[in-house]
Amino acid sequence: MEQNSATGNEKKEPVWQPEIDELNLRKSFAEQMGGPAGVERQHKSGKLTCRERIDNLFDPNSFREIGELNGKAEYDENGKLIKVSPSSMVIGKGLIDGKKVVVAAEDFTVKAGSSEQASPEKMIFAERLALDHLMPMVRLVDAVGGSIRLLEKNQSTKIPGYDGWNINLGLVPIVAVALGPCAGLGAMRVVASHFSVMVKDISQVFAAGPQVVAPGTHETVTKEDLGGVQIHTKESGMVDNRADSEQDAFEQVRRFLSYLPPNVYEAPKRQDTEDSPDRREEALASIIPKNRRLPYKSRKILELVFDKGSLFEIGKDHGSSQITMLGRINGYPVGILANDPMIMGGSMTHTASEKIIRFVDMCDTFHLPVVNFFDQPGVAVGRNAESHSTLRMAVRAGMAISQATVPWCTFFIRRAFGVAGAIYEPRSRATIRYAWPSAYWGSIPIEGGVEAAYKRDILSAPDPLARRNELVEYYKRFETPFRTAEKFLMENIIDPRDTREILCDWIEEAYAQMPRLVGVKTRTMRI
Amino acid sequence: MAQVEIKSDISGMVWKIDVSAGASVNEEDAIITLESMKMEIPVTAPANGIVKEILVKEGDVVEEEQTVAILEV
Repeated sequence: MEQNSATGNEKKEPVWQPEIDELNLRKSFAEQMGGPAGVERQHKSGKLTCRERIDNLFDPNSFREIGELNGKAEYDENGKLIKVSPSSMVIGKGLIDGKKVVVAAEDFTVKAGSSEQASPEKMIFAERLALDHLMPMVRLVDAVGGSIRLLEKNQSTKIPGYDGWNINLGLVPIVAVALGPCAGLGAMRVVASHFSVMVKDISQVFAAGPQVVAPGTHETVTKEDLGGVQIHTKESGMVDNRADSEQDAFEQVRRFLSYLPPNVYEAPKRQDTEDSPDRREEALASIIPKNRRLPYKSRKILELVFDKGSLFEIGKDHGSSQITMLGRINGYPVGILANDPMIMGGSMTHTASEKIIRFVDMCDTFHLPVVNFFDQPGVAVGRNAESHSTLRMAVRAGMAISQATVPWCTFFIRRAFGVAGAIYEPRSRATIRYAWPSAYWGSIPIEGGVEAAYKRDILSAPDPLARRNELVEYYKRFETPFRTAEKFLMENIIDPRDTREILCDWIEEAYAQMPRLVGVKTRTMRI
Repeated sequence: MAQVEIKSDISGMVWKIDVSAGASVNEEDAIITLESMKMEIPVTAPANGIVKEILVKEGDVVEEEQTVAILEV
């Protein structure tokens, strides 16, 4: 009788050992990626391999690969395996800060990550897995796009696109890291995300690279000029953040995901904090200058109010008159809006509007309550602003805010003027508003308003400038926020030093609403 | 010593020149102040150094990304 288990001293080889050996051999081919030369080329160009990237991204030893045996095999005449060239995409699951996340990473060492040696099913599988099992998705993109050689391989052409590449962004957080030249589908995979980051010098993102651009438009341009960090994190805003290194990019991914729930059916999670809810910062009582022409540093205010070390800025270099951040208040994750008076006076430009729309939609989708530190001088003016449809973009931003269903709290810290002065919270529900004593507001600023309404009066005065100043002084008496509060048109005026304590109290109410908030959001068309 | 171009992030009119060529400045010190959107916005030193040259004068209109001074760091 055959004995399967070794009960005595002799140890027998398992029945399936030859197959297990083949399995391990096949796995070893996967581990080798595109071979030593390809790996060396990748390192020489200052890049990690896709497997090193996955190790850097995930908690130690937590990665579980899916489809490791996928590749192009070669057999001898007896059908014995010689080798397997692995597919150009590695997918699987792993843990980020203990939470399960799906990853899809192109292997640039295999045919430059091209679709020529990828199984399209593999990429789609990863996306479907994230979607159906409600886990966040991280795309590590390093791919030159489609290859003409695919035509030869398939002996035909096809209509572009894969099912599943437009995964529903309303269900799970999707994060993309550009880690090389990302063209075509690769670029799309970077852009179609809730948060994207690219690494300076090694990452470029474009619809098509310089070799396609040159014959198409006769434009000679380097790939860095065409799609590097300068153009996309600063000028276009197509990618949210820049990273100084791949490690920095992975740290930003981990950081971003730490604020979000794994899917829309769950609430964001509170983290313990050592920062006291009662912390009162003296500097807040003096941080806004009395001289209205002098700006201040809004990021400093946010650092003083929110939990220490909890702020994570998104899109710093684009639409910079508006600041968008994730942060924590007494451990609870929140989305933060603030104006930056140092840039365009903090006004609502078309890029600031786009930034608000993208950020507020993301916060609303994942139930992050929003705190707005509002200092809005108005919609950007001038011919350049008009040519960018700035007013319509501002109205769109207003609609995005109004359609948001998350709890919302606004602190009026200085100005609120014009059309944009009304764009600070969802207007159709009980409002949570506080003003600092430095706040002032109106449909029109007094200085310009006086000149428009009293033009003839001023011009006919013996001393027009003196008359103008007299009128300005007269109207300024009405501008104190206390007069607005008398009429209950501003509910609360507070000592700025109480801001943190007020927020720590409010955030408990905000998170108590989570059972109503979780689930998929629907939104109507905006103009 | 390396030379660094100090650029304005915004467009505006030069309101005042805060330091002269040859001055030693610290990071974040104002080099010039622009008037833009009715506010006085400083263009600051990106690092500690010595101002080699100021390229604008009071009343000049500067554009976004325009170099306004050279800093030696």
